[in-house]
Amino acid sequence: MSVFLSSPFMHNIFAGLAQGIIYSLVALSLVIIWQSTHVLNFAQGAMAMIATYIGMTEIDRGIGYWWCVIISVLVGMALGGVTERVLIRPLYGKPEINPIVVMVGFLGFLEALAAAIWTSTTRNITEPFSQIYFKSNGHLVFLSSFIIFQIVLAMGIMLSVAALFRFTKLGLQLRASALAPEVSRLLGVRVSRMLTIGWILSAGVGAIAAVIIASGNFGLFPTDMDGIFVASFIAAAVGGLESPLGAVAGGLIIGLAEQFILAYWSPDVAPLGGIIILVVALMIRPQGLFTKNTIRRV
Amino acid sequence: MDWFLSLTRQETTHSRLIAMAFLTVLTLVITFFLPPVADSQLAGGAAIAIVVLGLSWLTGWSGQISLGNSGFMAVGAYAAGIWAHHHASTPLVFTFVLAIVFGGISGLIIAIPSTRLRGPYLAGMTLAFSAAVTPLAQNFTSVTGGEGGLFMNSLVTPRWFLHFFSGPNAAINASAQWSADLAVVVAGVMFFFMANLFHSRTGRAMRLVRDNDVAAELMGVNLARTRTTAFVVSAAYAGLGGALYSLLQASVRPETFPIGLSITLLTLMVLGGIGTLSGAVIGGIIYSFSANLVAHVNSLTGVNPTSNVGANMQGIIFSVLLILTMLFAPRGIVSLQYPLRRLFRARPATPTPKDVHL
Repeated sequence: MSVFLSSPFMHNIFAGLAQGIIYSLVALSLVIIWQSTHVLNFAQGAMAMIATYIGMTEIDRGIGYWWCVIISVLVGMALGGVTERVLIRPLYGKPEINPIVVMVGFLGFLEALAAAIWTSTTRNITEPFSQIYFKSNGHLVFLSSFIIFQIVLAMGIMLSVAALFRFTKLGLQLRASALAPEVSRLLGVRVSRMLTIGWILSAGVGAIAAVIIASGNFGLFPTDMDGIFVASFIAAAVGGLESPLGAVAGGLIIGLAEQFILAYWSPDVAPLGGIIILVVALMIRPQGLFTKNTIRRV
Repeated sequence: MDWFLSLTRQETTHSRLIAMAFLTVLTLVITFFLPPVADSQLAGGAAIAIVVLGLSWLTGWSGQISLGNSGFMAVGAYAAGIWAHHHASTPLVFTFVLAIVFGGISGLIIAIPSTRLRGPYLAGMTLAFSAAVTPLAQNFTSVTGGEGGLFMNSLVTPRWFLHFFSGPNAAINASAQWSADLAVVVAGVMFFFMANLFHSRTGRAMRLVRDNDVAAELMGVNLARTRTTAFVVSAAYAGLGGALYSLLQASVRPETFPIGLSITLLTLMVLGGIGTLSGAVIGGIIYSFSANLVAHVNSLTGVNPTSNVGANMQGIIFSVLLILTMLFAPRGIVSLQYPLRRLFRARPATPTPKDVHL
C-alpha cells in the first residue's frame, strides 16, 4: 500500500487535488457573486490579494498567524461589500460589458496599488504547517501537514457555505433574491442588502483562498492571484457559472488536469491545458457541464 | 468574404475620407518638427492605435468584449519577428501581411468557441488566452528565443530619407522620424480600411447583431459567421499592431505582452470612445504621451519617479481613469462633441444617439 502511495501517480493525484481545491474555492466565490448579481468579478483574485497583504503583513508586528488570517478575511469581506455598493450598484441594468470593464479596471488598480505600497518582490509568509512529506515505512507519501491543512480548511469553508445557503434563513433569502428578485422583494426580503451580503460572503471565501496560496510555496506578490483567477474562472465556466457544485468539481478537474499535463506531457503546453479543457467543455455544453436548465437571454 | 472586399471599396463618406487623409499628412508634417524622443513615442502610439481600433470594432460594433488582444498582438509580433529575424531583408509589407494573417488565424481559433459565448464567459476565455501566451513564448525557446526574445533589423531608414538630415545626430534623428512616419502611414491605411468596414453591409449587420441578435437572425444575418468575422478582423488588427510595435523596438520579447497590456488597451479604447475612429486616434495619442503625463503627475504630487509609488503611478492613473470613465462617461472623450456641437450650431441640436450600446 505504501508503495502505491509513494508512486509518482499518487504524487500527481495529491498535488493536483491540493491545487484544484484552491481553484474550487475561488470558483465557488465567483459563482456566489454571479448568482447574486450576474457579474463576473474579474477583480476577485486581486481583492483577495489586497486583503491578504493587509492581514498577513501584521505578522511583522508580532501578531499570531491565525489572527492575521482572521484580519485578512474580515478585510476581504469589507472590501467586497464596499465594492458592490460603490462600483457595481451604479451599473445594474446597464449593458453587461460595463461591469466587466469596471472590474477589469479595479483589478489593474489593486495590482498597481499593491506594487506601489508593498513592492513587487515576493514575500514569504511563515507557513503554519510543515511542507515536508510524510514517511511511512521508509517510503515518502506525497502528503504534508500543509497539504492536509489546505484541503481541510478549503473543505470546511465549502461545507459551511453550503450549510449557510441550505439551512439558514439568510441562505434562503440569498437564494430567493438571486432566483426571483421581484417576488422576493414583495415577500419582504431586502434584495439589495442580499446582493451586498453575497459579495461580502464571496470576498471572504476568496480571501481564504489567497491566504492559503500566500502561505504555501507560491508566496505573496501583487499578481499572485492572476493565474489562480484564470484557472478558477475556467473551473467555474466548465461547471457552469450557475452551479456551486459544478464550480467545486470544475476546480478539482482543472487542478488534476494541469498537474497531469505537467507531469506526463510537457510543462511547455501546461498553460494551454486549461483553455483546451474550457473549449472542449463549452463545445459540448455551452451552458456548463453541471447546469440543469438552459437560460437564453433574448 | 463580402467584408473583405468592402475594406478597400469606399463605403464611408467623402468628408470622413478627406479628414483622415488630412490628419495623416498633418501628422507626417508634425513629425518633422518633433524631437526624436517624441517621434518614437508617436510611432509606438500609432501602432497601439491600430490595436485599439481593432478592439473598438469588436466591442463597439459587434458587442463582444475581448481581454485577449494583447495575446493576438503577441501572435502577430512573433510571426513577424521569427520571420524578420531570419530574413532581415524581406520587404516590410510582406512581414506586415504575415502578421495580419497569423493574427487573424489566432482570432479565428479563439472565435470558434466564442461564438457560443456571451459577455463574461467570452471575456474570461480571451483572458485565459492572453494569460497563456506569455508562458508559451517563454517556454518554446528554440523558436521564440525564450525570455530574451528575438532581434530584428528590418526597420532600416532608406538612403533618400537620410538626405533631409544633417548635423551630428543626423542618423539617429532620421531613423526616429522614419519610424514615426512609417507607423503613421500604416495606421492611416488601417484606419481607412476600418472606416470602410464600419459603413459596409457587414458593419451594419454587426450592429444589428449587437443590438438585437434575434432580429438580425430573422433578417437573414448569419450570427456565428458575423461574430467570427468581428473576431478575425480584431485579431488581425492586433497582430499587425503588435508586429509594428515590435519592429519599432527592433525586438520581440514575452514581457512586452503581459495581461496588463490588455487592460491598457481596454483603458485606451474606453477613454477615447468605444466604436469610433476618432476614439482610437485619441487612445493612440494618450498612449504616446502617457509617460509625459505620468511624469507630470509625479512632479505635481511630489512623488519620486524612481520610488515604488512613482513606478506604479501609470497603472494607478490608467485604471482609475478607466473606472471613472465607465461609471460617469461610458462613451468616452469622443462624447464631448455632442454638448460642443449643440453649443456651436444654430440649427436644431444634433440628437445624442440614445440607442448606443454603452
